[in-house]
Parts: sequence; structure tokens; C-alpha cells
Amino acid sequence: MPENSEHVRLVYRQMVMSRVMEMKLSSLYKAGKIVGGVYLGKGQEAISASLGSCLQRGQDVFAPLIRDQAGRIAFGESLLDTTRTYLGSALGPMRGRDGNIHRGRPLEGNPAMISHLGTSLSVVTGMLFAKRMKGELAGKVGATCIGDGGTSTGAFHEGLNTAAVEKLPLVVLVANNQFAYSTPNDRQFACDNLLDKAIGYGVAGHYVEGSDFLASVETLCHAVEQARQGGGPQLVVADLLRLNGHGEHDDGAYVPDQIRHSKLGRDCLDVGREQLVSTQLATEEEIDRWWEEAREEVQQAVTTAQMEPKPDPYKEEWSALANQDYRNRPV
Amino acid sequence: MPEVPILMPQLGESIAEAKVVRLLVSQGDRVVSDQEVIEVETNKATMGVTTLCSGVISRVMAEEEVSYAVGTILGYLEVTEEEIIRTGVGDHLSRPKNSDESASDTSAASDSNVHFATDSEYVEPTAIEPHVQGLPVPAGNSAQYISPRLRARMNELGLQGADISAIAGSGAGGRVTIEDLEYFLEYISEWPSTKASPMRMAVADAMRRSWTRPLATVGLPVYIDRLLDYRKQQMPKPSLTLYVLKAFTTALQENPESAGFLIGDKIVHPRAYDIGVAVQVDDGVLVPVIRNVNEKSIADLLDEYVALVDKARTRRVTSDLTQGGIATVTNFGTFGLKWGTPIPLPNETLILGMGAGTKQLIWSEEVESFLPVTEMDLVLTFDHRVVDGGGAGMLLNRVAELLQRPQDL
Amino acid sequence: MPAAPSITYIDAIRDAQRDLLAEHPEVFVYGQDVGKFGGAFKATQGLQEAFPSQVYDSPISEDAMIGLAIGAAIEGMHPIVEMQFADFSSVAFNQIVNQAATHYYRTGVPIPLTVRMPCGGTPGSGPFHSQMVESIYSHYPGLVVVTPATVADAYCLLKEAVLAKDPVIYCEHKFLYRWLKAENYRGDDLPIGKARITRPGKHATVVTYSAMVHEAVRAADRLSEEGWEIEVVDLRTVKPLDTDTVMASVARTGRLLALGEAFPWGGVTAEVVARVVQDGFHLLDAPPQRLNSRDTPVPYHPNLWAAHRPTPESICDKLRQLLTL
Repeated sequence: MPENSEHVRLVYRQMVMSRVMEMKLSSLYKAGKIVGGVYLGKGQEAISASLGSCLQRGQDVFAPLIRDQAGRIAFGESLLDTTRTYLGSALGPMRGRDGNIHRGRPLEGNPAMISHLGTSLSVVTGMLFAKRMKGELAGKVGATCIGDGGTSTGAFHEGLNTAAVEKLPLVVLVANNQFAYSTPNDRQFACDNLLDKAIGYGVAGHYVEGSDFLASVETLCHAVEQARQGGGPQLVVADLLRLNGHGEHDDGAYVPDQIRHSKLGRDCLDVGREQLVSTQLATEEEIDRWWEEAREEVQQAVTTAQMEPKPDPYKEEWSALANQDYRNRPV
Repeated sequence: MPEVPILMPQLGESIAEAKVVRLLVSQGDRVVSDQEVIEVETNKATMGVTTLCSGVISRVMAEEEVSYAVGTILGYLEVTEEEIIRTGVGDHLSRPKNSDESASDTSAASDSNVHFATDSEYVEPTAIEPHVQGLPVPAGNSAQYISPRLRARMNELGLQGADISAIAGSGAGGRVTIEDLEYFLEYISEWPSTKASPMRMAVADAMRRSWTRPLATVGLPVYIDRLLDYRKQQMPKPSLTLYVLKAFTTALQENPESAGFLIGDKIVHPRAYDIGVAVQVDDGVLVPVIRNVNEKSIADLLDEYVALVDKARTRRVTSDLTQGGIATVTNFGTFGLKWGTPIPLPNETLILGMGAGTKQLIWSEEVESFLPVTEMDLVLTFDHRVVDGGGAGMLLNRVAELLQRPQDL
Repeated sequence: MPAAPSITYIDAIRDAQRDLLAEHPEVFVYGQDVGKFGGAFKATQGLQEAFPSQVYDSPISEDAMIGLAIGAAIEGMHPIVEMQFADFSSVAFNQIVNQAATHYYRTGVPIPLTVRMPCGGTPGSGPFHSQMVESIYSHYPGLVVVTPATVADAYCLLKEAVLAKDPVIYCEHKFLYRWLKAENYRGDDLPIGKARITRPGKHATVVTYSAMVHEAVRAADRLSEEGWEIEVVDLRTVKPLDTDTVMASVARTGRLLALGEAFPWGGVTAEVVARVVQDGFHLLDAPPQRLNSRDTPVPYHPNLWAAHRPTPESICDKLRQLLTL
């Protein structure tokens, strides 16, 4: 057994938890219980959980994107934070003011994403920048996730360039899942490999097949470690396939069967199960039990959030300002 | 056992409805949590509607090939109490008021919809029907309210509030709308009309301004035989009006507050006893003012009075001669009128009117016989905010009393 | 004899930053060329030398500049970001309005960020170095927008802005940088959100802010020769907007001219008029008027530029019209 076996087993359990949670969210959406949208990361659990599991909540920074349920769980987000935000509980971290994947606890190093892709790169860079100013940066890293489509934004470019200029320990994980909503890669960028961008920005680059569970754990942990050791920004590109639609309102019918049935289209949970069993890191029975435990825990989080009070528009403090003097003035 | 509804989900941010493609279960079927039970199709995708918990399909209301609004109840699941506690679906239990089986019935959906007040029968309105019923209207007599828009149109036409008094408003609280005004103007355009003279406009303006106050009129019959007898002895003979003017002034001097002006919470008293005399002229009335009446005797006043009245009749009275009065005397008796309710000038609060003298027979206890007397009605119009009926009556009685001793005036 | 006024508006901005950097280790300055070079307008001259660990040059990346500052603010810092020109903040618009402005409402974590916006025209600056941005940012919930018109306000409003918990858009008018001088920074120290009566009057009120305060005072001086007494209200902060002071002034004069240098569609002047009409319709003797720049990009040539923005002449004309309505 490898020396990091406990960590590997933990990452897989987080992936299972994420998958169960996402399937439950999808079901709640299709039962008319969740409004707005449900955006899943089916197929991206291995890289996402691998990244999250290498980070320390309260020390490091992790700014997930829309397909990072697994990474969120791995970074220590409670299942209740997920279900409360999706189901609009007034007790959740967003208190009904924002929903679904737009959740976070910034003071615990977990910024809440906005919809505008690429913007988290500079925000995480800023958090690291501040830690450096305060003399607290040593041994800490910041990480954020993006997709193939997000690499086309100006914010991605500006953010990564700024982090590179400042030589800050930023890990950027690009989940190259082949489609940005429905737009395929050949309409998104013209370089042969997204990894080539690392050269242009002057940052370290790493590549991994995102459906390969063990490779994902290894690559992400390595990249995070490089950043932690002062190696500056790390760009990790993972090739894989989004195994669901853009959101649960989308059945992804535009994804050709050829890709679905290629190596890209493998499910990292299936691959991981095989790898765990074949390397004797876990047994089939153990893994089945993890699934069962996950179902119970997820159901508990859903049940609790469902019973909780919804935000009350009559009690809502309708002000977006923090300063009491300004809040009290008419707008 | 409690029932949990199966809802049409919101399958996309802009999706309002979806079509049921296939029913995957039928009544009586046992289903588990998160099972797809109905296949639906939007313009974006085809997907399955799932159950929130396990149970038995107790009712299926949806039909294949029919579209339903987001939030519509497509069927019901019979669920055990334990399952409800396990899954936390309790807030779904509120049964719709009208859970009619009819597929097109959306009232059930709007009653029980968790997220939206949806109403699939709602059609985009082609025109908005404006209405004013129930709108808040200004406090007080709203018929007098003139909107800024109506006010602007009236200014354009040179109209005052009183000019539109003939219009029965159709707006909120009986308010005159601009449409009412235009309709009225068109209506009167076919009537014969003449151009009002500047004099007429001046009187109209004065009366309009005066009429903003709560004016009241009281009257008192006065026997004027002694006055007439005394007057006959004078040479030249002063006008009867002059005696009344003088008596009125004396009475006012004794009680100056009755000629006061109410401004805010102050009663502003007269500074000088300058009294006007109404003179009828062609197409109007002029009111020259006699200064300091209290300081002058009838004899002193005689020439001034005659000259002023003459100037007025010949329209040679200048504006300085008509300004600053505190009250006016008007002798409408000269037109044979016995009674009237004159209106004071807007800058005065009192006007004393004199009716025509008439011969009456009255019973005298003294001589036990009917005696002929000359009776004249004195009327006084006053601002009821400043003076009450009693005060006005006392003022009139004092004038009548003074007129009985004309030699003292 | 008092010394001739020698402290400029830009001195006030630089000194406020210097004092903030000295007293508050959580304050830092970030922007293009703000370091050794001292900023395109020298608003940060000497600051990096004095505070090498608190003043940083940024790449030409307005989006990332604000993003970085937001991240630092989450960590408890109080960043001051200098946009080289307010016009360039359009590149950072997303981070400002979607990230910084929504953050406190969404997460409960405040973003004490100040964005310094050198705005407004100077002759020859042209379409992309002259724009006013206060109206566009005021539209968004979660932002405070200040527009100092005096040397003392430039100093005290910047100090309050940087220490405040909320993101503040600090609009500093380039025309005032070196033209406006004072003897010192001592003023009435009015806080953010309070307007000031710059000049009392009784016949009409001009509500304005930033450089237009000075144009309004000039116009009022000219009209005083004709016997008109014009009251000039300096908003100082356009959001939150001090409606009380505006309304009290209109109650005194019965006439309102809302004056601004921004483009005419919507904006601060429209907001001022809307509020006065809504709450003070009964106070008005005449329809309230607005005067803004023209509805074209800011032109390059000084002749065109001078006619694009309100001038004492056009303000006088507008006021004369207002006084006869």
C-alpha cells in the first residue's frame, strides 16, 4: 500500500459523497423543489476532490467554480451549507440572498463565486497578496478552478498574469471538459493544448487525465506542494468529459457519442473504484458501505434544510452596505 | 395517510411550462425516493420528473401530450408519516383548495405552487384599461383639486378655478380631468358669447378672490323716519348713504376687531377708518374710499363724498382712491332692492348693504293705533372666521341705534 | 497677512494617502505606475519611498487590480486602487459592481476597498481620458460614491473612504488637481453622506458636486450682479445622497437646477430631480431643471470640450430661464 493510502481513501469517499449529493440535488430539482438551477460536476470529482483535499481550511484559500461540489466537500464545506443554499434556507451561509453554487465562507478562505468566469483568479491572488503583506503567507497556498471556456476570458488572463508577476502560490485547475455549455473546444481556443498557456504566463504547468483517479490525486497534490514550497503559480490542466449537461435543465444532447464512449468519457468514480480495489486500498464492500453512508448523510442534510425557515422579505434588512452610518441614510 | 404532490419542476431559467411525454407510473404503483415518474420535454431537453420520497402513487392528474405550467400538480403520492419525517417534505403537504382532476385546471397549481404564483391561463394584455377608482385622492374637497397638468392647460387658456365650476368632474373623487375640461370647452364653443370688459374682469377677479372665504350675511330692519326728518332740515341734503357710512364707522371704531383680518393665527386690526362706497358704473362696480371717516363730521364729509362718487360715475377714479379700505357701504336700495347679500372686497372683511326704504304700518301701543313708518333693511356680510352671527348682529344694532340720533353723528 | 493658499487638491489626495499609510498598516496603494514613478498625475509621489511594503505597481490589468484588492479586503486589508483614468475602470466594471458591490450583501463579509477615479475633463484629454463615472457606479447597490469639490473634502473624504467598511468609488476631478488651492485641510469635517451649502441664496438652488461646484459659484456670482441670490449645494457624496439638505434648500428657494458634468441620460442630476419632485412637489415654484454635459463622447478640441460640459455661461442661462418660469 502507498504511504498516502489514507489520503487516497479519503479523497474517494469525498468523491462518493459529492456524487450522491449531486444526484440528490438533481432529483430535488426535477421534483420542483429547487429553483434557479442545479449545476453538477459529474465526471470532475477526482480532480476537484484531489485539489480540495490538499488544502487546509482556515489556512489556505480555495475558490471553487460551478463543478466543484467534490472539492468543496474535500475543503471541509458542510453538507448543510450545500443543501441550505440550494433549498434557500434562511440559516445557510447565503441566507437566501444567493443560491446554488454561489456559496462560500470567505473568512474561512472559501470565497463565494460570482457568475463571471475568471474573476476568482485575481481575488485569490489578492487574498495571498494580503497574507504576504501580513507576513502570514509562509506555507500557504490559494487555489481556484476554471473550465476550458473560462480560459478565454480577460479576467483569467489578467488574474493569472498578475499572480505570475507577484509570484504568489496560486494553483489554477483547468477542467478541460470539452464543452463550455454547448460550445466545443475548437470554437473556444486555438492552441494545441491549454497547458501551453503556462509557458506564456511564466508559470509551472501540470497535465493529468481527469478520469484517472490516482493520477489526479498525485498530480494535484504535487502541484499544490510545488506552490506551497515557493514555486509560484501552478497551472494544472485536466482533460475529461462533463458527464451531465451544463445544468440540470440541459441534457447535453450536443455531446457526440464518439466522445462519450472515448477514454475521455470514463467516469472517474468507476475508474477510482477499480484502482482502489486492484491496489487493495479498499474492498468492494467498503466502497459500497461508503455509498450507503453517503446516502444517509445527504438525506439528513436535505431533510434538515427542507424543514428550516425560508428568508422572510418582511424581516430582510434591505441594505447592501456594511457601514451603519451609510445604511441609515436614504439610498 | 398524507399525500405529497408531484410537481412540474422549473427545468431551466426561462421555462414556464413543459409537455408531459410519457407517464412512467400509474395509480397504485409503489415508487422509491428520487425515482423518475413522468417524462417531460422542454424546448431545451427531455428529462424525468422525480419523487421527493417513497410511497404509493395515489393519483395521476397529468395526461400525456399535454403541457403544464411550472409548479402544476401532476399527481399525488401517498406517503407514510415516518417517510415524511425522514425526508423533510412536510411543507409540501398543504393540500390545494381545488385539486380538481382536470388537466387544464391551473387554479390548483397557483394555490399550491411552492415557488411562483403561476397562472397558465394568464394572457398578455393587449391594452391597459386605466382606472382611477380606489386611487388615493387629496384630502378635503377633492373636486377642487386641480392637477398640475390641468392647471397648466387652464393657465394656457387663462382660466381660473371658478371658471370650471360648471364641470361635473369624472375623475377620482369627482375631480375635473383634462378630458372633462376639453369636452366642456367644446360644448360651450357653440353658445353665443361676448368678450368680457376689463372692468368686468376686474370685478370678477375681486369677487373670486373674496369668495375663498366663509362669508355670511345677516340683516336688521331699521326705522329711518327720524333720520329722514333730520336730513330734510340740512342744506345741502347729505345722501342717506353718508349717514349710514358715518354710523357704521362709529360702530366699527367701538369694536375694531370685527373689521379684522385673520392671517394665520393673528387677527390684524384696521389701522385707519377708511371706508369705501360702492358705486355702480357701466358694466361694473367701483369702490372709492373715504379716508379717516372717524375724524370727520357729516358736514366735513359731504363735499368729499359727492366729488368721489362723481369721479367714480365718470370713471375718473384713480387707483389710489380705491385702495386701502377696511369696509364698504353699498346702497343697493337705489335699485329698488329691499334685500341682498353683498360680497366684501377681497381686502376687506365687511360690507354693509342698504335696502330700499318702504312704508309700513306698525301698531303703536302708545296711541293704540297703526302708524306709518319708513323701514329699511340693513344687511351685513362678514368673514365668519373673524366675526360670528351674534357679533355681526350687535354691530348692526349699534348702527341702527346711531341712526336714530342723526344729529350726534 | 495670511499666506497665499498653496496646498492643491492633489496634494490633499497624496497627503491623505500618506497619513493613512503611516497610521494604518492594513492600508496599501495598488495601481499602474503608482510606485517609484509616483502615478500618472503624481498623486502617489514619494509614497513608495516612504512605505515600500505598502505601495505596489500593478500590471495594466484593471479587472485583476480590483480582483486582487477585493481578495486583500476579504483578508482585512484596506486597499486603495488608483485607476490611471476613471475611464479605464470600465475594464474593471465587472469586479467593481458584481464582486465588490455584492459581496457584503451576499456573504456578510465587508469589502473595505477604495477605488480612486481620476475623472472629468481637461482641455485636450478627449473621449477616453475625460469621463465622469459617478452616475454609473451610483446605480449599483453596495457602493458608496464620493465626489469631493474642495481641497479639505479631498483630504477628509479620502481618509473616511479608505477606513470605511464599504467599497467606495472616490471620484477625484483632474481639473481641480492643481488649479484648486487652499491654505490647509481644515474644514468642517462633514462625513460621507452629508452635503454642504457652499453659497447661501434665496431665489434658486443649484445642486451639484465635484468641479461643477466651482462653475456654479461663478455663475451665482454673475447672477448676483443682476440681483439674484443663488444657493449652491455641494453634494460631496452622490451615494448615499443627502436628500434632506437638498430638500431644505429647495424649500427655501422654490426652484431647483441639478447640475452635473456627466452625460445627460439618467444619472445623479436625474436622481436629484426625481427625489425633489417625489417628496417636495409642493415646494416647487417652477419645474426643476437639469444641466449636464452634451450627449456625445467628450470631444478632444478645447473649443468643443469647453462647450460640451456646462460652463458659467450655460449655467447662468439655465438659471435665468428657471427664474422666469
